[in-house]
Amino acid sequence: MEITLVETLPQAIHEVTAVGVIIKAVIILAVISAIAGFGTYIERKVLAFMQRRLGPMHVGPYGLLQIAADGIKLFTKEDIVPQNANKFIFMVAPIITAATAFIALSAVPVFPDFTIPEFVPLLGGVFVPSIASDINVGVLFVLGMMAAGLYGPLLAGMSQANKWGIIGSARTAIQFLSYEVVTGLSILAPIMLVGSLSFVDFNNAQSGGIGSWLIWQQPVAFVLFLIAGFAETNRTPFDLLEHEAEVVSGYATEYSGMRWGMFFIGEYANMITVAIIASVVFLGGYDADCTLGWLFIILKIAFFFFLMLWVRASWPHVRPDQLMWLCWKVLMPIAVVNIVITAIVMMV
Amino acid sequence: MSEVQTVENMVTISIDGAQYQAKEGEYILNAARANDVFIPAICYLTRCSPTLACRICLVEADGKQVYSCNAKVKEGMEVTTSTPTILEERRAIMEVYDVNHPLQCGVCDKSGECELQNYTLEIGVDSQSYMIPDTKRETTNWSSVLHYDPGLCIVCERCTTVCKDMIGDAAITTAKRGGADLDKGYKESMPKDAYAMWNKLQKSVIAPSNGTEFTNCSDCGECLAVCPVGALVSRDFVYKSNAWELKRIPAVAAHSSDGAQIYYEVKHGSIEDRTEKIYRVTNEWNFVSLDGSARFAYDFENRGADNTGVKKDSTAFAAALEAFKKAETIRFNAMITNEEALMLQTLKEKMGLKLYNPEVRAFQKFLGYYIAASGSSLYSTDTDAIMKKSDFVIAVGTALRHDSPALKYAFNNVQKLNKGAGLYFHPIADTLIAGFGKSVETFTHKAGLEEAVLYLILDLFADKEKLPTEVKAYIDSFKTTETQTITEKVEKTIKEMVLNEETGEEEEVSKKVKEDVQKEIIVTTNGLVDLLGGDSSKFDDVFAKMMSKKEAFSLMVGEDFYFHPKAENLAKLVALIEATCNMDVVMTPPKSNALGVALICDLDDTATGYTVGYNENGDFRLSALGDGDLDMPAMNQQEGTLTSMSKRVLPTNAALEYEGYELNDIVKALVGAPEHTIDWTQMLPVSKGFKALAFDTLPNAFTNDGRDNRGYVLDVTRQEVQLPAVEPFDQSVVLEGEIAYRCNPARQFNDFTDKSHEIFETFSLYASPAKAESLGEKVEVVFENGSIVLDVVSDAKMEGDIVKVPDFKAAKDVYGLFGASRYQTVTIRKV
Amino acid sequence: MSLEHFKNRNIGTQHYTTIDVGHTPVGAMQTFTQVAKRTVKGELFVGLWVTLREMINALFKGDMATVKYPFEKLPISPRYRAIHDMLRLLESGSYRCIGCGLCEKICISNCISMDTRYDENQRKEVSEYTINFGRCIFCGYCAEVCPELAIVHGPRYENASEQRAGFSLFEDMLTPIDKLNLQQEYDGFGAISPNADDNIKKTPLAY
Repeated sequence: MEITLVETLPQAIHEVTAVGVIIKAVIILAVISAIAGFGTYIERKVLAFMQRRLGPMHVGPYGLLQIAADGIKLFTKEDIVPQNANKFIFMVAPIITAATAFIALSAVPVFPDFTIPEFVPLLGGVFVPSIASDINVGVLFVLGMMAAGLYGPLLAGMSQANKWGIIGSARTAIQFLSYEVVTGLSILAPIMLVGSLSFVDFNNAQSGGIGSWLIWQQPVAFVLFLIAGFAETNRTPFDLLEHEAEVVSGYATEYSGMRWGMFFIGEYANMITVAIIASVVFLGGYDADCTLGWLFIILKIAFFFFLMLWVRASWPHVRPDQLMWLCWKVLMPIAVVNIVITAIVMMV
Repeated sequence: MSEVQTVENMVTISIDGAQYQAKEGEYILNAARANDVFIPAICYLTRCSPTLACRICLVEADGKQVYSCNAKVKEGMEVTTSTPTILEERRAIMEVYDVNHPLQCGVCDKSGECELQNYTLEIGVDSQSYMIPDTKRETTNWSSVLHYDPGLCIVCERCTTVCKDMIGDAAITTAKRGGADLDKGYKESMPKDAYAMWNKLQKSVIAPSNGTEFTNCSDCGECLAVCPVGALVSRDFVYKSNAWELKRIPAVAAHSSDGAQIYYEVKHGSIEDRTEKIYRVTNEWNFVSLDGSARFAYDFENRGADNTGVKKDSTAFAAALEAFKKAETIRFNAMITNEEALMLQTLKEKMGLKLYNPEVRAFQKFLGYYIAASGSSLYSTDTDAIMKKSDFVIAVGTALRHDSPALKYAFNNVQKLNKGAGLYFHPIADTLIAGFGKSVETFTHKAGLEEAVLYLILDLFADKEKLPTEVKAYIDSFKTTETQTITEKVEKTIKEMVLNEETGEEEEVSKKVKEDVQKEIIVTTNGLVDLLGGDSSKFDDVFAKMMSKKEAFSLMVGEDFYFHPKAENLAKLVALIEATCNMDVVMTPPKSNALGVALICDLDDTATGYTVGYNENGDFRLSALGDGDLDMPAMNQQEGTLTSMSKRVLPTNAALEYEGYELNDIVKALVGAPEHTIDWTQMLPVSKGFKALAFDTLPNAFTNDGRDNRGYVLDVTRQEVQLPAVEPFDQSVVLEGEIAYRCNPARQFNDFTDKSHEIFETFSLYASPAKAESLGEKVEVVFENGSIVLDVVSDAKMEGDIVKVPDFKAAKDVYGLFGASRYQTVTIRKV
Repeated sequence: MSLEHFKNRNIGTQHYTTIDVGHTPVGAMQTFTQVAKRTVKGELFVGLWVTLREMINALFKGDMATVKYPFEKLPISPRYRAIHDMLRLLESGSYRCIGCGLCEKICISNCISMDTRYDENQRKEVSEYTINFGRCIFCGYCAEVCPELAIVHGPRYENASEQRAGFSLFEDMLTPIDKLNLQQEYDGFGAISPNADDNIKKTPLAY
């Protein structure tokens, strides 16, 4: 039996123009950066509530302007480069992290399509696509970019002439490389089902309501992806890269000010990317037909984001050996088995 | 003066089973205290008579309950200090003392030094069995310095006792309180002594004895010192500071030559002003009594012209060095330490300066005459020895009340405690001294007749065998013998033949009949007695009474002698008296350290040329008064030694901070000197009786039995000399007409006492009430070489027409007006 | 005591109970079983639930632990020893302080200083009084020794200052006369014990 989940793409009503893509890129950069900042606020708030605290309260109403305060602080802080550091690499490393995180986002649908209203001068009528560049190997691209993001922490840790940094970068290498495998394998099963590497195709394949979500067909793949996602984004319980109780601040030990801030933004951008991928691939994505589709995807992304904070508040982190054990002895075999079963089911 | 304790006059007693040695005739309490055995006692004062007011010193001696302050030790006496009955009495007494005693210990100025508090705790009074309605008693101020809170008073009568037995003023006494009567039931239920004590206590308070609200006394403040509770406090000190905050600096009273032991009690001025100030002066009142200047003239420290403290002023110091190099004379007074006197003497020796000090120079000369005539390097007795031994004291040539408070106390104390007698010769009659005792005779002689006084003493006391014949003849020449016919009543027995009517026989009956008989007797009139203002017809009988049972005689000689035109003859007469009579002599050094200066410095008679004045007038003035060209430390800001009238070299300490230059710095710069002033102490001249002892080795305390163990006593050397050849007295020096006497009011001695804020005696003319009335309010006293305008103040204890002109302000140059005599004929004009 | 005893650092009662931590799995099978069991048991979700529950309690049931300190303060124990208060007599409104100087005397850091004088009503008056809070160690001796319970420790514990020496005057610590009705009786250090009445005899020496 031939199952074709992929419908032919609905003909784009609007022409994707360069101006639209640039606007989209600017929006992504601006919004995600803002969200990364806002994410810190949310993280502090959620963690506080879970520990029955109030979190930031004093800068602005409910501490909302804390982000601004932190931002001002980060921008105005002295930029220190250690004496024995490889200065060029030291300075470039945070840019790699931030850049790869944002590049990854270019192939991910963020917000639905929309057209700038006509009354807006100059840009009126420009169509802004949901994806900055809807390449047909979107998933592969995103995963690849996230994998390339490994160089940020790795180079940062090695360049700073600090033993904690070295340990941090070593951990970066093993953790990111290992879980790259699990991410890829776990997402392979949905790809097999959808038959496309484009996120738009994923979205469209699940447009038949909640019942059509891939999570029901691929629960194991979802769980594996989620676990691997935590590891890829360096979140608790896998935050070994910069675990302060063990390696001071890992690869970020010598960083301060905005350079450190770029790691931070990169991490949050990656979190959003993973949340978006999870939402699009497993939870139906945005429903282009529904007027509230954009809201739904935001809620889904928000849920994943919240889940990361929630987990951080609840669970302790694991040892490096446990991490490796989990990856190679548990998750990877399960992912392979999952692919095999999926393949068998598809064949049958 | 340390007494030799021989085996003969010691007895052995046992107190609570332990054996102790005690002086024969000593009270049990004093014997116990001397041996460091504790017997509680509130009302008893050493050196005063027992009052038996508190009754807490109850002990059992040989099985009988006695008051230890009142019972004398006997050989083999067994004393028990506490038995159940005695403890019961003591507890009841302390409970009674606590009845209605205000619980204001928190604010009381005694602040924990309270004997009532101590004994209440010692005896463990933790509940009260007695009560009585309280009587409202208002606080009063008795004088410019005395503050009395009768609410706190426990009527132990220590104040009245010390005032009567030691000070002699007897200015306060017990008075009626008007309190409620005791409940009759207490008489049965209470211990006997406690009831008796309470009965008396409930009826009395202390009040001025002259019947007014104010005391008329010398304001010595000894009553404040002895008060065991906070009832008597200096007005200046009321509620000012707690005792525990005050730091005690042992020192020597600076103004009079008594050399009284004092403590300066210092504390920071206030919260803002952290420089230390003297708050009060206290003393070991069981062993030493202070005069008003010692107790109240304490804040005379030099704080510079602007009152902010003295700092090192190098320009003034350089000017001082120049002045010394230029100077021919240094003028100073007795208000310096031995060390400073030695520095000045060094300057004299090395720089050829003259030392000019008229007040001490006169004393020094007199001492010189005395030494030459007697062969003894110093006079023979001191106040302490007089109080302990003498029972007959004679004061000549000294205004006892003003010149030397310690001698006045000794004179009085001998009358009160030693059942003594006293003779007081002075041109100005003093009603207070006449009232010291029944056996005190006062002679008001003409000024200038001091020689005649000494001849009278020779007549009365000298061993006629020892007297040179010409002196004996001279004395006899004043005696006239005349035959008087007096009528005596004589009882005669007359035998009569009386006819017996019953029997009709004649019988011989003897009958006693009184009959006037004319009798002729020979009466000797002592012309000297009459010459000195006495009544020779009565004097013989009075003197005979005074002389009964008297063994130890003392003569007090004062400043009038030093400034007498016939000083040399007086000194010889004093030496003759000492040689031929059984009599000790003490001389009053005029003010402060006059004896030390007299011994150390080689003084000159005149001042010439450029003069540096030290606390005196001069072309360049070193002054501790804050008004000179270079500041010097005052006596309470420096350490060193003072030589007292008792021939003791006493260490005194700096109570207050001083950061400026001292005399030693000047001497160091001029001729070289040791680092510190006190390094001079061991360099004091041994030939004059001083000892080569370092300042820091000098002891400064009294022993338990009251012996003075401060500093050291000057060595007195004695040489055998011929009896001095004395001249007949010279009647030509007798002054007639209006006479002024150079004499300070009781608490004033110098500019420093005048500077002190608790001394109120003014620089005025002091006269007897009658004289004061005739003089009016303000007068000009005209001397030969100048005049001075003074207010007139009436002194109720003076009699006669001679007026007193004070000399305590150096700037007024009263010494210059009087010249070489203490008496001057003057013209007094109303202004 | 022998050296052995000295070396034994486990002082105190040694009644330890061992909790059941299970045993370390031996071999691949046991390990697998343990992993499988733990996976199925959902222990991780228990953890998630705990934090979520606390969040719900904190947000919606008012069970928030945070006190917004400078704006709201926790009630403080009466025995707490903070900045001193000078109390007044409730009846007359005059100072309780009689100027006895015991606080000044007992102060072990020497931070209390006072001047007194004889006033017009023939009473002892405290003319000036100061505590240097830069030196005060808040030991409470002054409050304990005060016979009148005039100097007490109040609830004001915010005494940070820009200088080491911080002098507080009598008037600063005194209960304002218009707030006399708000004056609390102190029951901290030095206050009268609850059974003081039982100890009272006829003289104050007993208690």
